[in-house]
Amino acid sequence: MLPLRIAWRFLRSSPVQSALIVAGIAVGIATQIFVGSIIVSLQNSLLETTIGSAAHVTIQAIKQSDPVRYTPEMQHTLNSDPRVKSGTVAPIRSVSALYSNGSDSASLGLLGGDLKQLEGIYKLKARTVSGHASIGSGEIMLGKDFADKFGIKAGDTISLKFPNNQTGSFSVSGIFDLGAAQFNLRNAFVTGAVPQNVLGWSNDQFTQIQLQLNRPYDSVKIADQWSQQFPGVSVTEWQGQNKSLLAGLISQAVSSYMIQGFVLVAIALGIASTLAIAAVQKTRQIGILKAMGLADGPAGQVFLWQAAILGVAGSLGGIVASFGLLGLFRLAPTSFTITMQPGFVAVSALIGVGVALLSSIIPTRRTSRLDPIEVIQNG
Amino acid sequence: MAECPDGLLVEACRLDKVYGEGEAATHALKDVSFDLCAGEFAAIVGQSGSGKSTLLNLLGLLDSPTRGTVRYHDTDAEALSKPERAQLRNGLIGFVFQAHYLLPEFSVYENVAMPAFIGRTLGEGGTRSRVEETLSMLGLEGMSGKNANELSGGQKQRVAIARALMNRPSIVLADEPTGNLDTVNTNLVYKLFRQINKETGTAFLIVTHDRSIAERTERILEISDGTLVQDLRTSEVIGR
Repeated sequence: MLPLRIAWRFLRSSPVQSALIVAGIAVGIATQIFVGSIIVSLQNSLLETTIGSAAHVTIQAIKQSDPVRYTPEMQHTLNSDPRVKSGTVAPIRSVSALYSNGSDSASLGLLGGDLKQLEGIYKLKARTVSGHASIGSGEIMLGKDFADKFGIKAGDTISLKFPNNQTGSFSVSGIFDLGAAQFNLRNAFVTGAVPQNVLGWSNDQFTQIQLQLNRPYDSVKIADQWSQQFPGVSVTEWQGQNKSLLAGLISQAVSSYMIQGFVLVAIALGIASTLAIAAVQKTRQIGILKAMGLADGPAGQVFLWQAAILGVAGSLGGIVASFGLLGLFRLAPTSFTITMQPGFVAVSALIGVGVALLSSIIPTRRTSRLDPIEVIQNG
Repeated sequence: MAECPDGLLVEACRLDKVYGEGEAATHALKDVSFDLCAGEFAAIVGQSGSGKSTLLNLLGLLDSPTRGTVRYHDTDAEALSKPERAQLRNGLIGFVFQAHYLLPEFSVYENVAMPAFIGRTLGEGGTRSRVEETLSMLGLEGMSGKNANELSGGQKQRVAIARALMNRPSIVLADEPTGNLDTVNTNLVYKLFRQINKETGTAFLIVTHDRSIAERTERILEISDGTLVQDLRTSEVIGR
């Protein structure tokens, strides 16, 4: 590997120049990893806040007051689809109820289902701030904002009035906080039998079938597919209901890609100009090597190897620097946790090396074409 | 065709070299033909700008003639591809220039070994022993670990000669090889050339504008205005 050996010696002969270009690449790659990780983590955090405890896809009757029939075929389809997040298919019955404490009253949407199935979507155990997560017979879990508004605590008993004028008495087993004040204020969880009795529905009739997906952004495609598979029902998905959020996330991603793109262009220009200067500086040496019989191909490879060495060293330096930057960032109080994706780091490093190699095209071609006579005649 | 006891090495046949086109065309060489035998010790003389370096570049396969051919051991160099010409140059030809053109990034050992690295003709052990043998031939024992920048002018030129001899070429083409040296080192270099020529049978073709130096060789080819005007044995020159 003579071209590699020559490339290494050329780089070692100009240590300051080589160190500066490695530092330049390292700063660029560190910036890319840092900015990319922040944006991805921020997006994940926003997504988790917005849809982490909500259905990604909801199946319901076209007329919302009608029940949807949760047939064995639908059960099989939803539970065996690998795109559906395991343990998140939750058939839910909902009914509205009125709470009154004598001086004040509020409407409450009761979501009735099996705790194990609801847990997959709403993560009630982790989000219970008082009492415990339980919706057995006669039990209810209230939202934090509702409980605060009416001064209700876990262990209290409340009475609710249903649209058919029935009333029910419930023991507050726990208070939850899903991070959304409106949801906490307007919804409560009970066993599925409560709304079923009020509505008079059979065992396979539900208000909604809610579920989450392994890849939330696949929701449009999947909802469309199920709409065709299950005619007579309405299949909605989170992206259609959160267009503003989605536009914000896309804008954020685009700006992140633009920043990363400009950083890469800056790296490429830096390497290209330095290698071009290096190629001019080493013209004499390359000319003499060619006079000794070094063919055009291997002569050109010298600068390709230089770029590869600089790219690898700079990218590794960039990865180390990005760990440092993220460590510093974690010291600052933020509302989200930054995580570095190993795949993203690897791709960033590969991009760094790739950009370095691309930047060597001009000096490589120039060196390949160099006529040794130019060097010999010009001394 | 010349009579060569050890065989014919180079045939230069009707070489023309024109730089530029149309009215700006410059005829650097005009219809130059001669043969060079294996093991010959010859010089090319001529005024500055007469075309002697152009001729050397053509013979060294660094450049191609506008017309005519250069043949090495019956191989027409013009019929070869660029990589094949580079390979032929690496194996058959050694170059010594007025400037030493050593690679400052490499040690003396690596500079001398470079033609072998390029040609990949010797293994690591073979390269090492060949470098030591060549350095010893040139009185440079113990210098292999030094950097080229640590040597004197005379030493650098001897290292450049060692490099030219590394692949045991059939011919060394030397372009004003002592142009930058003092009289003592000039004499030393010519003695070395002659000694190597006699000991190894390597042919030497030395370009010089200094006739007294040329007269130390066996044959003088004189170029004037791109034309070969004389091709004489040195004994004939001295006889005149």
